[in-house]
Amino acid sequence: MVAAEYSRSVKLMGNNFTITLVAKDNTLAQKQMDIAVAEIRRIEALFTTYSNESETALINKNAGIKPVLVCKEMYSIIERCAGISNITQGAFDITYGSLDKSLWNFDKTITELPSASVALKMVHLINYKNIILDKKNTSIYLKEKGMRIGFGGIGKGYAAEMAKKLMIENNIKGGIINASGDLTTWGLQANDKPWTIGIADPNLPASAFSYLNISDMAIATSGTYEKYAMINGKKYSHTINPRTGLPVQGIKSVTVISNNAELADAMATPIAVMGIEAGLYMINQLPALHCIIIDDNNKIFTSNKINLS
Amino acid sequence: MKRIFLSALGILSLIQLHAQSASDSSGYKSKKLTLDEVNLVSSYYNQTGNNAAVTGGIGSEKLNDISNIIDVKFIRYDKKNRRHILDAALGIDHYTSASSDLIDLKANSSASHADTRIYPDISYSVENETKGTTIGAGLSASSEFDYKSFGGNITVAKKTNDKNGEFTAKVQVYLDKVSLVLPVELRPVTSGRENNYPTTARNTYAASLSYSQIINQNLQVAFFADFIQQQGYLSLPFHRVYFKDGSVHQENLPNTRSKLPLAVRANYFLGDNIILKAYYRFYTDNWGLTAHTANIEMPVKITPFFSVSPFYRFYTQTAIKYFGKYQTQSATNVYHSSNYDLSAFNSNFLGAGFKFNPLKGVFGLKHFNSLEIRYGHYAKNNQMNANIISLNIKYK
Repeated sequence: MVAAEYSRSVKLMGNNFTITLVAKDNTLAQKQMDIAVAEIRRIEALFTTYSNESETALINKNAGIKPVLVCKEMYSIIERCAGISNITQGAFDITYGSLDKSLWNFDKTITELPSASVALKMVHLINYKNIILDKKNTSIYLKEKGMRIGFGGIGKGYAAEMAKKLMIENNIKGGIINASGDLTTWGLQANDKPWTIGIADPNLPASAFSYLNISDMAIATSGTYEKYAMINGKKYSHTINPRTGLPVQGIKSVTVISNNAELADAMATPIAVMGIEAGLYMINQLPALHCIIIDDNNKIFTSNKINLS
Repeated sequence: MKRIFLSALGILSLIQLHAQSASDSSGYKSKKLTLDEVNLVSSYYNQTGNNAAVTGGIGSEKLNDISNIIDVKFIRYDKKNRRHILDAALGIDHYTSASSDLIDLKANSSASHADTRIYPDISYSVENETKGTTIGAGLSASSEFDYKSFGGNITVAKKTNDKNGEFTAKVQVYLDKVSLVLPVELRPVTSGRENNYPTTARNTYAASLSYSQIINQNLQVAFFADFIQQQGYLSLPFHRVYFKDGSVHQENLPNTRSKLPLAVRANYFLGDNIILKAYYRFYTDNWGLTAHTANIEMPVKITPFFSVSPFYRFYTQTAIKYFGKYQTQSATNVYHSSNYDLSAFNSNFLGAGFKFNPLKGVFGLKHFNSLEIRYGHYAKNNQMNANIISLNIKYK
């Protein structure tokens, strides 16, 4: 039998996941896709804040009260999040869920920014340094009452990476796990060619502005072109800077390329928050991590090891 | 160059960005990361699979800087979903020729004459993928010691509905300047500098029609028809003609020439690594020259970065009406030439090309993305033999 590509789209973690596998026959592909979907569902259950039973919900419920014992998997992902917060100077922060939207809420119709003091008040509970990690007991404690953590900025990348790992262990030689555009690939296509990935043009989201030939790589794009508001002639995105509480401006899209989907997913939005200069300076110090930034004037900036041709 | 240009733009807009956002600073600085900070993130993500469990986290977690380069093929689409492609190329030829020395007998030296030709070329095209149409325009220039050429072209192409066939129409204009370097004994006696040669115009207008068709996955064919009209000074000023009476004259040919080449090409793909390329061309013009060319070439990809292509070409032509050998012509004919390129002959050309396109660029220079060396033995039935080596470096 000649290998072919089989795919399935499923709504998981609030996102549309498309799983594509290279397999010898449909039965095998369907069986493996069931396994991949089950893995993503398992991670969804770990991260969800809709259920009161999830470890994430328990951590939030006990904020300012007591440490919560968590599984090793949960502990190590929070530990990695703290590391990413550190290198991004807090632009990535899983306590972002503590944003107080009752004071001011971003939508397309707003006409003015909150004052600096109101903005700061909104984000006063956002601080990854107030997550207390206890390695010995694998427990997590949120120091301030009202603090909340969430995995919106890293969860789907982690899930895609875990599903990919399972598929490789199960001898699937090639595939793509695509979580609403943040995707990870391994192996080759059924025709033995490398996977090609297009990057959306921020002015024309339906078509790609460039193509990358990459296999065994993950790519994530954070675009501010979907949700933004014009305030005094300036374009502001829906992403709130956790340091100031004000919406981010100046960058249209950030694409991160990494060998790991979790890292790519986690890095895209923080780079937009940090700005071009600080963002690129950081990426250039990290091995196997690359990024392409498009600013509001359609200028393209890339990290050192990207070759635009 | 492109790269430098890009970062120059980058710096500029960073300055602008700073000026703009001075009041509402994001609060993030370019911060030097410590090795620990980098390791905390990288050691997990750069591990391959279960190494860490096996080694207990020792040894394998060493940070290794993977310096692989990511290539992004840049294509711009506009709001109407049309594809824009800008291509620029720079060619450099350096040639030596023994006979060029004989233009100037006094300056004849033991080393062959050498010349360098530089030809930049820029083209821009817009492709509408839904309609299957492409419109493009290009400019080219070429300059060497005694010849300057400036060219422009406009192309219109349309694909058939099934996208397997494409019809292309192209109009080209070349406005050339030929320096009148006369044979030394025919130069007027002047007191001035000898390097200041007068120039004359040579204009070429060409209309080309072509149709290419994909027959199946392995076979592609294409048909070409050109009509070329040349006006101006079409002789080569330094060519000598010796008349029956032994007098020496400058070559003289008509000021217009109409050419009609018709050609067909077929490419057959034998698997992924071998291509069989066949080409035939018929040529006729109003000077009385008729020619046939048959060419066969077989590029074989040995590795993704190296390919070899053996080739063979047969060529035959009749002489132009104005041709005559040494001391066979007289002043009764207005036009006369002894240029053996315009005589009747046939030739065989056999050789091979070797093409390298290393991943990191030729000699590690990434913009020089391929290097091709072609060697061939050329034999003409009128006793001319040549070994030709050409070098082609592609800049991207």
